[in-house]
Amino acid sequence: MHAFVADRRRLEFLAYALFIAGVLAMPLFIDAFWLNRIAKYLVYGMLGLAIALSWGYAGILNLGQGLFFGFGAYMAAMSLKLQSYTSLQQGSDKPIPDFMLWNAEPNAPTDLCCINEGSFLWLPFQAQWFGMAMAILAPTLIAYLVGSAIFRLRISGVYVAIITLALVLLTRLLIIDAQPVTNGFNGLTDLGWLTIGGFEFDPYMTQTYYLVAAGMVVVLLATRLLVATRAGLILQSTRDDPNRARYLGYNVAAYQVFFFTVSAAIAGFAGMLYVIAAEFASPTFMDLTFSISMVVWAAVGGRASLLGACIGAILINTIEASVSESEMLQEGWKLIIGFLFVLVVLFMPRGLAGLVNDMLDRIEAMLKPGAARPPATTKTAAATAAEKPGE
Amino acid sequence: MADVIFIGLSLSSILLLIALGLTIIYGAMGVINMAHGELVMIGAYTAVMTGIYLGFNLIAALPVAFLVAGGIGFLMERAVIRHLYGRLLDTLLATWGIAIILKQAIRLEFGLSFLDIHIDGLGTGLQNVAIPAFLNQPWSIGGIEVQSYRTFIILLTVFLALVTWFLMYRTSYGIQVRAIMRNADMAAACGIDVKKVSSLTFAYGSGLAGVAGVMMAGFKTVSPDMGSSLVVDGFLVVVVGGVGSLLGSVASAGFLGQVNGIFATYSNDILARAVVFGVVILIIMWRPQGLFSFKGR
Repeated sequence: MHAFVADRRRLEFLAYALFIAGVLAMPLFIDAFWLNRIAKYLVYGMLGLAIALSWGYAGILNLGQGLFFGFGAYMAAMSLKLQSYTSLQQGSDKPIPDFMLWNAEPNAPTDLCCINEGSFLWLPFQAQWFGMAMAILAPTLIAYLVGSAIFRLRISGVYVAIITLALVLLTRLLIIDAQPVTNGFNGLTDLGWLTIGGFEFDPYMTQTYYLVAAGMVVVLLATRLLVATRAGLILQSTRDDPNRARYLGYNVAAYQVFFFTVSAAIAGFAGMLYVIAAEFASPTFMDLTFSISMVVWAAVGGRASLLGACIGAILINTIEASVSESEMLQEGWKLIIGFLFVLVVLFMPRGLAGLVNDMLDRIEAMLKPGAARPPATTKTAAATAAEKPGE
Repeated sequence: MADVIFIGLSLSSILLLIALGLTIIYGAMGVINMAHGELVMIGAYTAVMTGIYLGFNLIAALPVAFLVAGGIGFLMERAVIRHLYGRLLDTLLATWGIAIILKQAIRLEFGLSFLDIHIDGLGTGLQNVAIPAFLNQPWSIGGIEVQSYRTFIILLTVFLALVTWFLMYRTSYGIQVRAIMRNADMAAACGIDVKKVSSLTFAYGSGLAGVAGVMMAGFKTVSPDMGSSLVVDGFLVVVVGGVGSLLGSVASAGFLGQVNGIFATYSNDILARAVVFGVVILIIMWRPQGLFSFKGR
């Protein structure tokens, strides 16, 4: 028994296996309505994971993760909008988003190329694969450019948070302002379904749930393997002491840019899956509240644990959905979230994952024959980083 | 042209009013107070409540809001923030939680909604506060009509900035705050009661937010959500100005307000805000320490 508890790698493996099995078995237990909801929360889980990667492993607090999520969502939504029956009505055989027709000048040509000044941007999105590819490529490219600019200048800590925050709010305003192309505040609604090889992914079908679940599982496992590589270890060293890593000859900025970009790509992919499951994209994805909520989920689940952050996001949202039946309860739940968050920051800076770890330490100490080891000495590097002053 | 500058000046004064409290809290204490916008909101609700129940007008509500918001700030510091000094990003997260709590407290009428008791002036709805009549008439300087309420805000902001400057640079309390700002351990070693001074500083910064809230109530509808976007504005001003620099905050509020005003005149409000964000990003990338920062070690 003792050896089993002490073998953290095996326990971690078990935790991942249990979680993935649970996610995959979900359709056996719940109806289509809840399945669709859970699919959305799995997407939020990916966002928690993306935050844990950049915040917990790289030490970069990105308060603008909504930017990448939003971009992924909009790119996917644009091509799904053109698939929608609402874009084929009103006497046209070529797809044109309905809001463009409503707002068109009286004598504008009813063609996607020139119905208004920006509508030509939609042209390539007639091909569905283009929208789906851009949902990942666009956030990746933006993150690469932004990351290069920030990290080459050795900007760190709170300034990264403020720059990314300003960036997401800036983009949100631009999207709202570009009303003719983006439908402004209303966002893109009435989307079509994703179609692969003639198969239509109805958001309320089990197949769609599995599409989202498979996406999440792949991302979770790939990210977990990625942080265990040499590059991942070097990244963690740049978090703990960038100057020492630099002195040892590592290009700190390159590692930061790479993982910042990976985290953005995950968020973009999440945005795409969200649109497939939820059938809309809106500027609220780029709200301050949403980006900070992701950080909240990751912090409650455990910022230094990919699985923890992922579970944190899913758990918080599932509870929120179950109490949202009555408006009073929902408001009350928000209050609880506020308190919970203050308590987590004060008393469990490593979140649920840290709590589990500490409990395992206790059990290990109890089971160990002879001298009990105080749990304080088994702090992981990530835990020390979480408590590092000035970060 | 002069009216554009006046619009800019009026936007600047509101920015500064919000940022003034943050400058002190962030600069002196290294706390990113995400609940600052909610303290502004509390100030606005103080104006609503004193108007309904005590018949106070906006000006009479100012000192009350200062005390209420300051009191809440004091409690926040004692209960939560005290334990988080030196953990900058954690203060951001914890105060975000506090912000949610404050918002929900107003929405749920301090929990009385659950008992089906409703208090006039609280709850999820929108509230309005009337401006006193003598601040409602426009008047003109040099041929331009200006709103007297906007002028009042500008004058009040200047007054508060001067008071804050006096407190920070001409009193022994201010010397203690500035000593803590530079090096808290050293200040403690010199016999400064760091804990006490920190609580008071936090309370003072929060009180300023309350005053800002009363002024906001005069030209914006009051709602539980009004604070969330304000805190971002406040932060941009503080970071651009330079952490802990009062002069920097004044200058950057002036600058960003004018940028906002000019672009709002020639395009629209949404784009003007976007331009402000863009300018702020460029400034932070160029000088992360801010435009006016003291040389730290």
